[in-house]
Amino acid sequence: MTADQIASVTDRPRPLASTGRSRAGGRPRTSVTGRRHRAFYLFTSPWIIGFLLLTVVPMAYALWLSFTTFDGISPHWRYVGLGNYRELFSDSVTWQALGRAGLFAATSVPLSIIAGLALALLVNRPVKGRGVFRTLLYLPAVVPPVGAGIAFKQLFDQNSGAANGILTSLGFDAIGWLADPYARYVLLMTLLWAAGNIMIISLAGLQDVPRELHEAARIDGASAWRTFRSITVPLLSPVLLFQTVTGMIASVQTIMPLLLAPLGDTSGITTVPQSNYLYMMHVFAQYFALGRYGYASALLWVLFVLILVTTGLVFKFTSGVVFYNVDPEAKK
Amino acid sequence: MSSASSGSRATDVRVRVRVNRLVLYTALVVVTGLFLGPFGWLVLTGLKTQGELAASPVHWLPAHVQWHNFADAFTQIDFLGYARNSLIISLIYATLVTLSSAWVGFGFARLTAPGKKTLFGILLGSMMLPQMVTLLPTYLIFAKLGMVDTYWPWVLWGLSSAPYLVFLFRQFFAGLPRELEEAAIVDGCGYTGIFWRIFLPQSWPVLAASFIIAFTWTWGDYIAPQLLLSTDRTTLAVAVMTTYVTDAGTPVPQLQAAASVMYVVPILLIFLVAQRGFVAGMSTSGLK
Repeated sequence: MTADQIASVTDRPRPLASTGRSRAGGRPRTSVTGRRHRAFYLFTSPWIIGFLLLTVVPMAYALWLSFTTFDGISPHWRYVGLGNYRELFSDSVTWQALGRAGLFAATSVPLSIIAGLALALLVNRPVKGRGVFRTLLYLPAVVPPVGAGIAFKQLFDQNSGAANGILTSLGFDAIGWLADPYARYVLLMTLLWAAGNIMIISLAGLQDVPRELHEAARIDGASAWRTFRSITVPLLSPVLLFQTVTGMIASVQTIMPLLLAPLGDTSGITTVPQSNYLYMMHVFAQYFALGRYGYASALLWVLFVLILVTTGLVFKFTSGVVFYNVDPEAKK
Repeated sequence: MSSASSGSRATDVRVRVRVNRLVLYTALVVVTGLFLGPFGWLVLTGLKTQGELAASPVHWLPAHVQWHNFADAFTQIDFLGYARNSLIISLIYATLVTLSSAWVGFGFARLTAPGKKTLFGILLGSMMLPQMVTLLPTYLIFAKLGMVDTYWPWVLWGLSSAPYLVFLFRQFFAGLPRELEEAAIVDGCGYTGIFWRIFLPQSWPVLAASFIIAFTWTWGDYIAPQLLLSTDRTTLAVAVMTTYVTDAGTPVPQLQAAASVMYVVPILLIFLVAQRGFVAGMSTSGLK
């Protein structure tokens, strides 16, 4: 969803003074326009100033640091040019962490979108008490990450966890869920637990699918699956694209492995199981455990560029598939 | 599913409708159970003894319900103090960011100026900016400015609005009828007045949604307080995660579970009280 596309879908109200009628006793039209321009900048200035000071400046600062050996304490840091980047690209730990983060995003994002959509379809049916079901399914999504981490740690605990309780009562051996190789599945389940978030937004999208389309399809004898595939999914595609992009970005930044680790403490970064040692864990390890601010900044900038490129590619490859239901009125 | 089928097959159809409904309700109950399971287990864990937690095979229910775990979780650390810290920064941030995002959203929805399109593009793009990328350098800058271990960063973050919430408000304001401001302009009311007196009072569902979202973000945030605040000024999220250990440094899971139940409950309560307005705000603002 690019700015233009969003704007074209939603830009219904026209500027007020376009009628050219000047107010208050024949003042020239330009002053009204000028006043509105000034008002626009007055209203948007908190964001503009905040964006410059709290985003652009830190990003630039991080870029500068990424060319140095700054560690926050030692005064003897120096400029090393592309040294950090050279090290980064030749470091196999970085590549593995990046690969794991990519693989994790590639599985967790589609799964949570499918889960969220399935939940939305389920609670969109006319059933009794669906408001209650909606609320209960959404609840885990408002549980803060720390709460979710502790809940899943208890659930999958080797001795006292319910997961192993079920396994052993069925005659299976208990599994060390929070260590390799199972830790990644627990991480995945923890994130899927919050699928209610996607459910709510998909639900809002479903409300917008015109009922006549479904009725027409039914009269034509289309099966439920066919209707879903040919009507619901295309009309929902902008929502799904939005979910994909934001989900992807959130997924590579997740700190959940840290919260699921045996002792959830940023200094205990080394206790994260190997399969959950994602890119962000690597950044934290460099930053907190080793104090390598320069190197960590380089890692973050590489992540930023990768996200930018991936997002661009996602938009490029979906431009033909995503269907925008542009309001005809919006186009004059 | 249609009830308008031919008469001879009416009973057949009725049976099918009933089976369908049974399947639907079963699916709903099972799925809801799965989603509530982890939370239920957390409550049970908080009611057991340390011995029961170490025992294998698992003890499903506590032999003697240990209500005192909740009291202990409260007294072993300065629970209320941490909760107060969380509450202060969550209220500061949620209040400020809701107002500033509404303010900025109004500008993008109802006003124009050269460069608006570009600015809006940057705003949407910045939604895709990884937060972590800016947070670490921001910390270093705040450290230089002496704002570490104060609540000023949350004030600044709040004042500068949040792209996601700006978008939420912009969508809502863009959908309101134009007559709303026309009459006010004829009466000589400025845009500031229009915003405060006409648009803001109209937008309570979105205000509620924005406030809940922002409050939940801050209440649940782990990294920013961990970075910016010292041990006694930090938030409940950090405390629950790191402070329930014995003198020897081993974690005490039943206290941690009890504490995290108490930590989550305020968010759940706020959500339950406000969810009607929240869901309405999300859908009327067309965030999709």
